[in-house]
Amino acid sequence: MKTLLTIRENSYAWVTSALQGLAPLLLPICNKPFVEFLVDFAVLAGSREIRLLSDGPLQEVEQYCEDGSRWGVQMSYAHIKESDDHQTIFEKNRRFCNDSKVMVIDGFVFVGYDKKNDYRDLFNSMPDGTVASCTTGSIRLFTVSESNMANNDETPVSLTPIDSVESYYDLSMHILRHESSRYVLPGYGSEPDSYVGRNVTISKSAEIIKPVSIGNNVQILAGSVIGPDAVIGSNVIIDRKSRITESIVLDNTYIGEELDVEHKMANRNTLISPQGAVSIAMEDPHLLTGIKDTARGIGNLLRTIVHTLTAIVLILLLVIPFILITPILAVQGKWKSSRKTCYDHTCKGVISLPDVSIERSGPLSAIAFALSLDRLPTLFRVVGGKLSLIGNAPIAAEEKNLSPPAATPGYRPAVFSYAEAENWPVGGSDAAIVERFYAIHSNPLQDIGLTMKSLINRFHDTTTA
Amino acid sequence: MTLHLDTSTGKTIGVARIEGRLDATNSGILLQKFPEWLEQTNDFVFDCSALSFIDSSGLGAIVGCLRKALEKNGDLRLACLDPKVSMVFELTKAKQLFSIYHDCHEALDSFNTGKQQ
Repeated sequence: MKTLLTIRENSYAWVTSALQGLAPLLLPICNKPFVEFLVDFAVLAGSREIRLLSDGPLQEVEQYCEDGSRWGVQMSYAHIKESDDHQTIFEKNRRFCNDSKVMVIDGFVFVGYDKKNDYRDLFNSMPDGTVASCTTGSIRLFTVSESNMANNDETPVSLTPIDSVESYYDLSMHILRHESSRYVLPGYGSEPDSYVGRNVTISKSAEIIKPVSIGNNVQILAGSVIGPDAVIGSNVIIDRKSRITESIVLDNTYIGEELDVEHKMANRNTLISPQGAVSIAMEDPHLLTGIKDTARGIGNLLRTIVHTLTAIVLILLLVIPFILITPILAVQGKWKSSRKTCYDHTCKGVISLPDVSIERSGPLSAIAFALSLDRLPTLFRVVGGKLSLIGNAPIAAEEKNLSPPAATPGYRPAVFSYAEAENWPVGGSDAAIVERFYAIHSNPLQDIGLTMKSLINRFHDTTTA
Repeated sequence: MTLHLDTSTGKTIGVARIEGRLDATNSGILLQKFPEWLEQTNDFVFDCSALSFIDSSGLGAIVGCLRKALEKNGDLRLACLDPKVSMVFELTKAKQLFSIYHDCHEALDSFNTGKQQ
């Protein structure tokens, strides 16, 4: 079976106006993007190919879902016109449908399913027709070569419209309170109804009351109370003695000290009351604000000085082993050097960087790798002010990137990446989270410590290049 | 910011109408005027029906007025809070400090009936 997801821009226009800065199709429901719930359901229904169709922008969702391989499916994307009806859409995608049974999920709707159920046999045995519907969408089954249509009386799944701030809030709270076990929700949890992401720092005196869902890179400071019924997004700071109950704090939000967020939604500096969608944009950054790149001004100058001095020390330490070892490796063909063009820190310009790889066979090349001799040529770029010592892995300009640097707050191309320091595979989505966290929260002294960690990690790295 | 004295309930109550924004730029004016108002009465209702925005400075000024009224054995009650303004009071827990009423009449009556919200 194949799945067509058709989501029209006007069905999620409320997200754009009420929750600014969020990509509607990636709207987090209990910290899981909306589109991922649809993909999960399509997989449970036996789909191996999913096509997302919209008359709105698809760039962000395409960057997030890529080719769908992480779910073991093939994902493709196509634009439709606002005026296209179901028949036209079906005709335009006839080649995709290609004599296969097709499930069409239409609308900005939440599909209620249960991960424990296997919908494959059920959906394959069901006749063509409407499986489920609600005021703003439907699920229908089609088979291109057949024309028998029927309406299915028994609906194995439910559909919930997400057509307002209130319906979004109610849905998130309902899933968190009653149905979290039916879906795969992100985060780790040793207890049911508690989902906690990575890099979450919870002060000893903070209290977490289930059910809660906490994203990645979250700091919950002393005396705070989170829950019950709290969804805390990623890159969030809850300052001292604040209380979050029956509320959703969306990504990149700072909640100030001694505040009481109850039955509300907080999106950066905007506080929203779900009932009636009343919202107020706070002008006081100590109450509520968006978390942005803070590495500017004096802090940035200090960071540059610290990075440069540390790079000089590393160059002095590595230059003699470099002179002794690299010529031998070059002769053996184990030292491969090329150049790559990457985005610079402005995200607009590019820089050409040496790209060295060491073939790790034999003790000499192992020593060269452990000493990070392959990074020595780029260390000079730190002294020249073109690179940071530690920051983001430079994003290649010529590649179609996972995440463009403009979308990465505080992007600083560097010799060593924060992901390396924390031993995450460089280039993956996990690495992006780690790099983003440190790009915002690290200080120059921490940078030195993390650089040392990166260097030490190379000693322990036993993978072969 | 204007004040008029209401005696309709048999008690002299100062009804102050707060309009527009109450923020860092004008909260000082309220703090400056309030001691003058306190010379006329100790009980106040702030009519917030035309108050469209408040920030922490404005909130601090209203809390400051309440403190001064309480020091003189009076009270300051709020009426007609806009939902947005009300959210700031909820967020900062300031709602717990004040008696808040849906309209001015209710707030004025509360001084006679002694019913506080």
